[in-house]
Formats: sequence, structure tokens, C-alpha cells
Amino acid sequence: MSEIKTHARAVADVIDGLIVASVEIARTPERVFQALSSREIVDWWVNPGVFDTREWSGDVRVGGRWHASGIARGAPYSLEGEFLEVDPPRKLVQTWHRQGTPGAPSTLTYMLEPIAGGTRLTVRHAGIAAPDQRNNMSAGWRTSCDRLSEILPTRKG
Amino acid sequence: MSRIEAKTDVFRAIADPTRRALLDRLRAGPANAGTLAADFRSSRPAVSKHLRVLREARLVVDTRIGRERVYAVNPVPLQSVAGWLEGYRAFWQVSLTRLKRNLEEK
Repeated sequence: MSEIKTHARAVADVIDGLIVASVEIARTPERVFQALSSREIVDWWVNPGVFDTREWSGDVRVGGRWHASGIARGAPYSLEGEFLEVDPPRKLVQTWHRQGTPGAPSTLTYMLEPIAGGTRLTVRHAGIAAPDQRNNMSAGWRTSCDRLSEILPTRKG
Repeated sequence: MSRIEAKTDVFRAIADPTRRALLDRLRAGPANAGTLAADFRSSRPAVSKHLRVLREARLVVDTRIGRERVYAVNPVPLQSVAGWLEGYRAFWQVSLTRLKRNLEEK
């Protein structure tokens, strides 16, 4: 499946507090959708010892709730939200809120499209609130992601 | 003012489209309030009010030249905000890479 690109890409729009990321995966949209909407999330929102999602549960239907919790740099965190759009295997939209923080939740949109040899997954994380509301989580993730960034390029995708 | 408060001010300041346009204009070169008001076909008090918000967020700096204040872009706060959002950007990049690896290994 040589058409599939090796690396994920992600860009930030500072003005709008928006992240857009994409990756190509040599699996069907149905298979990828399953990984986005099931407890499999604990397998990829994780960097052992630094950022570790331990639990995920979700009622994957419009209006259903989801919840995730784990440990980031030794401190527990808890995320929750509501599914706004559930259209397997094409699209999944959910709100995203860290418990115990003020402010409106952000919105996470997954879009899946079939390509030659697999699926292109695009993530749009919009409406990320001002730093005073999300600073702690950001700090935890920044550290975990920096360390993951150091590790990942040395491994074959 | 703490660093976090300063960053919040930056977000508030750039939430307004007129202020974003003012920043874009000032990136082309420093200007005084009168010139900016003419460029934007806006009243000088209205422009001065926006400039004050931008100044308080430290997105612009003003220099007194004779009787005039000349405004210029200060790029540092926006870089600081960009650094904060970088945590999310990096999170998605590494998470999606991990997702790809997990699925393709199975």
C-alpha cells in the first residue's frame, strides 16, 4: 500500500484556537471509525508514564455522553462531552470538556474518507478556550507530546 | 500582570476582526492613530480605543515621536499564545501517528 503516507500532520490556527490534523491509515473507514468510538481510545491517547488514558466510555449516539480519565504527569484528569453527530464510517462530532474547568467546551470533529489502500482521517479540534481555562491540561500534554515526538521518529510507523 | 492573564488579554484582543485588521496593517509598518483612522475610514477615537486594547495585551507598542504616538507590532505575545496551542497540535500529531501504528500492526 505505497499510496499511504507515513506520517500524521497537524497545524494550528492561533487566531481561532483551532487544530487541524490528518493521517492516512491502511485500514477501512469502518475499522478506523471503530477505533475512534470505542475503548480502543485508551490505546492511542497514551504515552506510558507521562500521559496515560486509563478509562474511556461512551454512549455513541447523538445526544449520548462520553467520558475519559487518566493520569497526566502524575495528576489525574477527566474529560467528558456529548456526541453531536454520529455518521459511521464518515463522520463523528463530539464536544470536549475538561471537568473542573470553566468555559465552553471545544468541539472535536473526525472526518473519514476512503482513499486508495485505506482511509484518510482528518481531525478538527475547534474552539479551544483561553489559556487560563486549559493551562494545566495543555502543560501536561505539551510535555507528554514533546517526549512522544522524540520517541516516535525513531520508530517505523 | 501574570503571564496567564496577559495571554487571556491576547485572546480577547485578537477576537475582534477590526483589531486583527489593525494588526495586519501594522505588520506592514508602524503608523500613528491618525493614519490608521484614515486607512480604516474610522473615527480616531474608535481607532484609539482598539489601539488601547492591543497595547494592554502588549500586541502593539507605542513610541512617542514629538507630539505623536507611533504604533508598531510587538510579535512576542502572539508567539507565546502559539506556543500554548502547540501542546494541542503536538498531541494530535503524535496521537494520530500512534493510532495509525496500532491499526496497521494488527
